[in-house]
Amino acid sequence: MFVLLKRLQHLRRTVALPAPARPGSLALRHVDCGSCNGCEHELTNAAGPHYDLERFGISVVASPRHADVLLITGTVTTRMAGPLRAAYAAMPEPRLVAALGDCALGIGVLGDPDQLAGPVEDLLPVDVRVAGCPPTPAAIAEALLDALDLVRTPRREDRR
Amino acid sequence: MSPTPAIEHVDAGSWRATVSAAVERGAELDCLWAAGGAPDPAVRLALRQGAARRLFSTRAEGSRVATIVDLLPAAEWDEREAHDTHGVRFDGHEPLRALVAHPADRAAWVTPVEGPDVHEVAVGPIHAGIIESGHFRFHVVGERVLHLDLRLFYKHRGLERAAEGLTLAAGIPVAQRACAACAVANSVAYAQAAESTLGLQPDEDLRRSRTLVIELERLYNHLHDLSALCAGIGFDPGTMTFAALKERAQRVNERIAGHRFLFGTVRVGEGARSIDDAGASSAHDEVQAIGREAADAWRTLTFMASAEDRMRGVGPLAKEDAERWGAVGPVARASGVHRDARTDERGLLWYPDLQPARPEHPAGDVAARAEVRAAELEQTCAILTGLLTSPPGRGSSAAAHEPASLGVGRVESPRGATVCCVEADEDQITRLHLRTGSYANWPVLARVVPGAILPDFPLINKSFELCYACADR
Repeated sequence: MFVLLKRLQHLRRTVALPAPARPGSLALRHVDCGSCNGCEHELTNAAGPHYDLERFGISVVASPRHADVLLITGTVTTRMAGPLRAAYAAMPEPRLVAALGDCALGIGVLGDPDQLAGPVEDLLPVDVRVAGCPPTPAAIAEALLDALDLVRTPRREDRR
Repeated sequence: MSPTPAIEHVDAGSWRATVSAAVERGAELDCLWAAGGAPDPAVRLALRQGAARRLFSTRAEGSRVATIVDLLPAAEWDEREAHDTHGVRFDGHEPLRALVAHPADRAAWVTPVEGPDVHEVAVGPIHAGIIESGHFRFHVVGERVLHLDLRLFYKHRGLERAAEGLTLAAGIPVAQRACAACAVANSVAYAQAAESTLGLQPDEDLRRSRTLVIELERLYNHLHDLSALCAGIGFDPGTMTFAALKERAQRVNERIAGHRFLFGTVRVGEGARSIDDAGASSAHDEVQAIGREAADAWRTLTFMASAEDRMRGVGPLAKEDAERWGAVGPVARASGVHRDARTDERGLLWYPDLQPARPEHPAGDVAARAEVRAAELEQTCAILTGLLTSPPGRGSSAAAHEPASLGVGRVESPRGATVCCVEADEDQITRLHLRTGSYANWPVLARVVPGAILPDFPLINKSFELCYACADR
């Protein structure tokens, strides 16, 4: 085990990870509404050692009740429309909706229209759009960092 | 390699007898699907015996036909799906529970489990983490699972129906969209099926270049699966080590194929791109390094008694059950089923001397399923470095036999044998059916879990590591 830990430590030092420029944090709740599993893989990679999203304060939480952002992958199937709305309803405010990947944005091969209720835009107000099939971990990280600003902006206004 | 054999049309009356005779001679299920609409849809069946395949078709008069699920238990989901999508009633398959359809009545899909202290634990469709959507209903007494009902198809996008009416070339993006992690396996199976209807035979370059992308896909998937298995036992250094190796493997994909998931690398009848020598040589060295470090990390894991303890004996699948229920891929090989689609269908790809991986302890438990993947990683790296030493050209195909109305392709995906059936009217798809390795193994998972305790489910599930997208389509 110590061999693995030592190598990971080495990797952490050699991989170019820019220092987090922005303070703050975001709790993400991911909901797969009919993806091809590509966005899930890249999202997992973004949390892995080469990108390490958590160093920016961005983490994945288990419950929508603890989440700032609802991160949606896939074109929304008729079967997932209900669970998606329930997850959104359970979130505290202020809340953001992020549509991750081309399917969620309604681009590309989606399927049989009879089986689909989406894109996400038709069901929920979308604040963050990440295009790509699937978006790379770097693109996901960048979009989420921009979302940090979205969350912070209204608070600054409150202070005025 | 011969083309897909001619369809044997069977009277509805002798359907069971025909299938029974074939099964008695040792035939196994490739795939069962329905085509056409009411009142008389067709039911088609592809059986396989070693490298030989037989195709059967019968008319379901008044949408009824006799079940064959007692002869071929692996066809359970296939029959349930044919009922939900094409309205076929399978006489004798009782109760024919809903699979693709999601009726509001819970009695239509939940198995009744009753008795003192029996509880139901419902999980999903939204899971706690970065996981695909699907629903599990556990019937438990205390922590012990008595029965598991799967309710998948939350992600059913109707891709097969969306493909109907498209040209054969336009079917590739549809097959690819079914699942990113198995995109290459699914689209090569599709391309083989489409080429079989067109009467085309791939040349050596095409066979080798397809083998290259199939193995690149297996490389990053097996690394991912070992990472997930470490997460399943709560061993974070292992999770992160294999995740880092997976990232490197996906960067190799990006460099030599232009896409991290190898999208766009498969076309019908031809190759998509060739690899230059410099790219091949750097990929060769990186694959070799990944293979070495993965073997190293695996060795570390095997010396950890606590990891071994956590995996050994959990979620066992006996060899007879694996065969009877039609388990495929690493799951089947971990139970001692010495089979791999790569060695059955040597003619269309490039596996001159591959043997299916044999784990040292084919106990069919979580530990054996991990061991098979580690062994296959070694094989895959060897195949890849071999192919990258003299990189294949783009490749093409040539007319080799008469065009046919139905073609079947079969490829070993990282999760097991994936079968694609294409029915075409000249260049137009009339029916596309994809039966992936995940689809074959989901019902097996549901049968392995009873007897385990509920907290072991995530680990057993990760040792199968099945795609929802592949099954739901």
